[in-house]
Amino acid sequence: MPRVTVTVRDSSGQTATAAANYSLTPPVLGGYYLSGNADPTTDMSGGNFRSLTQYRSFADSNIFPGYNRPWLVTLGRSGVQMNMVLELKHYGAGDTGSQTFTVDGVRYTVPAPAMTIQQRPGTVWPKAYGYGQVISGQCDGLFARALSQYRTLGFGVNIQLASELDTDHEFGTTEAGKAYTWAESDARAVQAMTYIVNWFRVKALPAGTTFSVGVGGFDRASFTRTHPESLMSRLDYLQWNVYATSASDTALARFRRTKDWAVADLGPVALSRPVIVAEWGVRVAEIPDQAAWIATVPAAIARLNAERGPILARTNYFNSGWGTLSPKAAGLAALRSAYARSPYA
Amino acid sequence: MAAPTVTASLNATSYAPGAQMLLTVTYGDPDTKTVTVTVVVTDAQGNSSAPAKVNAVIDPLTVTVTDDSKRTWTRVSDNGTVAVYRAVA
Repeated sequence: MPRVTVTVRDSSGQTATAAANYSLTPPVLGGYYLSGNADPTTDMSGGNFRSLTQYRSFADSNIFPGYNRPWLVTLGRSGVQMNMVLELKHYGAGDTGSQTFTVDGVRYTVPAPAMTIQQRPGTVWPKAYGYGQVISGQCDGLFARALSQYRTLGFGVNIQLASELDTDHEFGTTEAGKAYTWAESDARAVQAMTYIVNWFRVKALPAGTTFSVGVGGFDRASFTRTHPESLMSRLDYLQWNVYATSASDTALARFRRTKDWAVADLGPVALSRPVIVAEWGVRVAEIPDQAAWIATVPAAIARLNAERGPILARTNYFNSGWGTLSPKAAGLAALRSAYARSPYA
Repeated sequence: MAAPTVTASLNATSYAPGAQMLLTVTYGDPDTKTVTVTVVVTDAQGNSSAPAKVNAVIDPLTVTVTDDSKRTWTRVSDNGTVAVYRAVA
């Protein structure tokens, strides 16, 4: 730890000294996501992109590296840090029934997903493997399948369990015919996430494996409920997402919102963990000059990292949905420029 | 002669590369006094010059800042009791 020492000397040679220690944070990893889990290699090439978010469903038979995604292996082996979001959510493609498959010689049968999430009125509620199903061991085959594939990747990744628990639970959940409130769903998810992390942690894992749990980070009470110290002690990172969707949104305000809740509400274990922002984005409808907003991000991150509380370690731009870069060329150029500056470089 | 006193505090405990670091040094010594010497020159005819004043510091203090990671700290202000230094992380 570097130390600065101050000495005061008077005319007779008497001295007094004082010292202050400080630490230097490693560069923040600038990252990316391209809509549809698409190949981001072209967009990232030549820029200081060192981090990537990917989404997979435990229901899918090819999680690592993913179906038809050899580029992920190439990027990972070249040092890009992967944040693999693994969801209990069933993406709905194909059969949502039970599955029987063999992993490393062991036959597993996993029942159909029994939970619905994201129960926004007027929408079709997605299916997901239920927290009860997870805790009762019914989903172990899904984890075994993912782990077996993960071991062949050749590098360690961060496994982010769930994309956004708050989004999943905001309108309650239902499992096997029983309805649960938002708060009940959070409590059940904490148990299920704990089960999954513990399941993986006792297995042999590739070097560099880390874990986090996913939240949007837009609701303070839910954020607290989903980050008990007992779970945080098993996780390596905090995580939340950051979006600017109002003309008055500043980068500093948006990146700091959930951090401030963390500092105020979470325990010392949670606050010792660095943060992965798995998604950040600027919505062009309200903020037409995305590039100008993106240009303000490095200073905002540097300022937040100079303050008390968890360090923002990775920020992955979400070039999809709310964050879609339009025009893409100008947005990408702004990202490259931002990631070329401190605290990213 | 009394011994000087000093405290040092940084504006953060952790810095990102390239960030500005500010160090506040508060220092003093009971012996340090500023005296004002006033000089009037008078000639043989009794004509006096206007008084000229000059300040002198008794037992002045020197402040030195060193960094074991070889960062250069630059003084940006000093009022005799509080000095602020700046470096780049």
